[in-house]
Amino acid sequence: MFKQLMVASGTLLLAACGPVQTDSEVYQDGLVYCSEGNPEIFNPQLVTSGTTVDATSAQLYDRLLDYDAKQQQFVPALARGWQSFDDGRRYRFNLRKDVNFHHTDWFTPTRTFNADDVLFSFQRWLNEQHPYYPVNGGRYPFFRSSGLIRLIEHVEKIDDYTVDFHLAQSDSSFLANVATDFAVILSEEYGQQLIAAGNPEQIDRLPVGTGPFAFELFRKDFVIRYSAHKDYWREQPEIKTLVYVITPNANKRMLKLLTGECDVIPYPLVNELSQLDQDAQIEVGSSVSPNVSFWAFNTKQPPFDNVIVRRALAHAINRPAIIQTIYSGNARLATGMLPETSWAYSPVQQTYPYDPAKARELLAEAGFPNGFSMDIWAMPVQRAYNPNAQRMAELIQSDLAQVGVQANIVSYEWNTFRQRLVEGEHDSVLIGWVADNADPDNFFRPTLSCAAARSGNNRAQWCNPEFDRLLIEAIAESDLDQRKHLYQAIEDFVMQQAPLVPIANSLRFQAHRDDVEGVELPPYGGINFRYARRIKDAPL
Amino acid sequence: MLRYSLRRIVLLIVTLWLLSLLIFSLNYWYPGNAVTNMTGISASNPLAYQEVYVARGFEDGIVTQYGEFIRHLLQGDWGLSLVTQQPVFAEIKPLLGATIELGLLAMFLAMVLGIPLGVYAAVQQRGPMDRIVMGVSLSAYSIPVFWLAQLFILLFAVKLGWSPISGQINPLYAIETQTGSILIDIWLSDSQFKTAAFYDALNHLWVPVIVLAMMPLTMLIRIMRNAVLDVLQQNYIKAARARGLSDSTIMFRHTLPNAMQPVVRQLGLQFSVLMTNIVITEVIFNWPGLGSWLVKSIYERDFPVIQAGLLILASLILLVNLFVDLLHAWRYPQVRKEIDAE
Repeated sequence: MFKQLMVASGTLLLAACGPVQTDSEVYQDGLVYCSEGNPEIFNPQLVTSGTTVDATSAQLYDRLLDYDAKQQQFVPALARGWQSFDDGRRYRFNLRKDVNFHHTDWFTPTRTFNADDVLFSFQRWLNEQHPYYPVNGGRYPFFRSSGLIRLIEHVEKIDDYTVDFHLAQSDSSFLANVATDFAVILSEEYGQQLIAAGNPEQIDRLPVGTGPFAFELFRKDFVIRYSAHKDYWREQPEIKTLVYVITPNANKRMLKLLTGECDVIPYPLVNELSQLDQDAQIEVGSSVSPNVSFWAFNTKQPPFDNVIVRRALAHAINRPAIIQTIYSGNARLATGMLPETSWAYSPVQQTYPYDPAKARELLAEAGFPNGFSMDIWAMPVQRAYNPNAQRMAELIQSDLAQVGVQANIVSYEWNTFRQRLVEGEHDSVLIGWVADNADPDNFFRPTLSCAAARSGNNRAQWCNPEFDRLLIEAIAESDLDQRKHLYQAIEDFVMQQAPLVPIANSLRFQAHRDDVEGVELPPYGGINFRYARRIKDAPL
Repeated sequence: MLRYSLRRIVLLIVTLWLLSLLIFSLNYWYPGNAVTNMTGISASNPLAYQEVYVARGFEDGIVTQYGEFIRHLLQGDWGLSLVTQQPVFAEIKPLLGATIELGLLAMFLAMVLGIPLGVYAAVQQRGPMDRIVMGVSLSAYSIPVFWLAQLFILLFAVKLGWSPISGQINPLYAIETQTGSILIDIWLSDSQFKTAAFYDALNHLWVPVIVLAMMPLTMLIRIMRNAVLDVLQQNYIKAARARGLSDSTIMFRHTLPNAMQPVVRQLGLQFSVLMTNIVITEVIFNWPGLGSWLVKSIYERDFPVIQAGLLILASLILLVNLFVDLLHAWRYPQVRKEIDAE
């Protein structure tokens, strides 16, 4: 082999004497994103993991419509437009023509995108009899938990470029769910070919979509390579090669960004962010991620069934200090359940200010002038919304001691922790919620409704019929302004009842070299490289 | 020679058989279902599961199961990875290529530097250079590989910016993985940036190669020095001196060929050390070889992959040791006499 190497290097040296190829082209047209993990599969319909969404949704696929977070409205994508009929129980989508699927080594499309592809992509998870339903696990967690699987009764093809969605009832979160990163459009023609070849699993492993980048190869634990989709229906992406280098180690990711081996990295370490910022070649981008961390009380457990006790505890904790300590300032103080990115957000404070004197007063009023003893459950893991629940619990513990409440910090292994939470064994818990779509309903129904209390996802075990009624009223309303008012009323109600104390909306970070721009980190959903480009004059 | 070779080969076969027994038993010792551990097909896929259940002899006793295990092993049917559901056997070739490339280059570097330095130290025995060489090699030998690797990354990649931190090549060069050895793959590829890619690959290679070579290098220096000193004590060297031969003739004609004997004997052992270190080095430098593959499979509890990784690494070490032993015996007949006389 060594001989071969010598021959190889010899040939290369000879080759070097010929016309010199500049390698700057390779760097100029390419972008390296050091992702934090392997995607489980190349189809976001099948998973909810953020890593997979980052790797696939915005790059390989398109959706019927997109959500524009800046203007807080839905914008056309594969659907040119849409209308709702029958009091919001039927939606008609007019589809775009001349949308090309990826042309790859394993698939040559003979036709452009049409209604059959929409039917195929939705029927795959709606219809249990669909040949692709059980393929690659056959679990569609997002559509199940968002209720979309039950909401859509059937999808009907009107003509080649018109599709009707029939809904079980009017639901204003429908469009938001269709615009999520999970509702991607696959190629029906590719699906048929794979069935004929007896190899349906390939659909999610060698993916074909209409997105700005086409899949080239994936080596687990090392690299994913995408190339620009030459016949993309929107503006061509500027970078020709997009490479994901899988780098699970956060320190190494940051060092590789410093040396220029990575152009963009997700989740830089918060405590070293300031150091990163000083380096002139690195820029840190952030967006308020649609999440909220909160402290939920088990309202089935005395004394937390008493609303006055809950209010007292809400007054007792110093949330601005928590933001400073736990998030190093990289989070916003929550003004309610809804984060700033939601269109239903209002800057009005809908939480309790820090006021230990008031807290003591309320405790006395509730019959606990000398306080009591309670447990705070703290998550054993880091989450985007809460990087250090243990430390947060300690801060709250000392705040509570000020008002005479003695708190014990409890934690278990993460799976056990969640199981026991579902059983309702806790007094109070520090946990949070990350929204899947732009609809404000997603912040209340999965976390505080009676249905959520039954399934155990309601960490406050709080079931209030009045609250559920407000939720249903808000979801049935289709006028945006009206809905905003209703959600503000819901926020007020949550504040008044205080089943939980919203603490922070944390920021999601991404860092990139200063010669890269246009990498989008939308608040809902995965990273998007469609507009990414390298600034041409940058020194290499 | 024939008798010696046969003995070594029989020993190898017995060792491989014991290895296969161990790996076969692992399937039953791992948590979970033995059929799944062996094939990567879980019971949630009843059709395929039933098929492999029969094919792997699970309707019969353990002996049939072992027989089927060996048969599938020899046929290259090593099951599917539990994580990717891709055939394990097909994944091995590029990984093996990457590991062998790194290992061979490190071994080569160790020999090219270690042997002359050892000779030099021996010639300068007790002189200042001898002390410096021996002192440095002892210190280098005492630094664990994982620590050395981190130090080198910090120094050469982060501080000085002379080399990248990890990987085989800048992934923007679309080099198709064929053999797994990056230099050969670049040579075989039809990339228009071959030269640039080649330099980029070398730039990625040199730090891990030096890190990996460090341990065998320092060992070789010490072994070589001792071997040369031993030979220099021999009567035939004194006789050569008495005949008035020049120092260089004595060194190159009489000392070195004889001093190489213990060094060659040590090469097999050094290779085993190298293989242990290569696992660590590959993980740190994110090198797409067998070692990092094995470590990741352990994290992921991917039993078919763990087995395959163990089997390949162990067999590789055994085969190289056999090869070195045979080479040693063929090159130095006195060794055969020693063994035959036992």
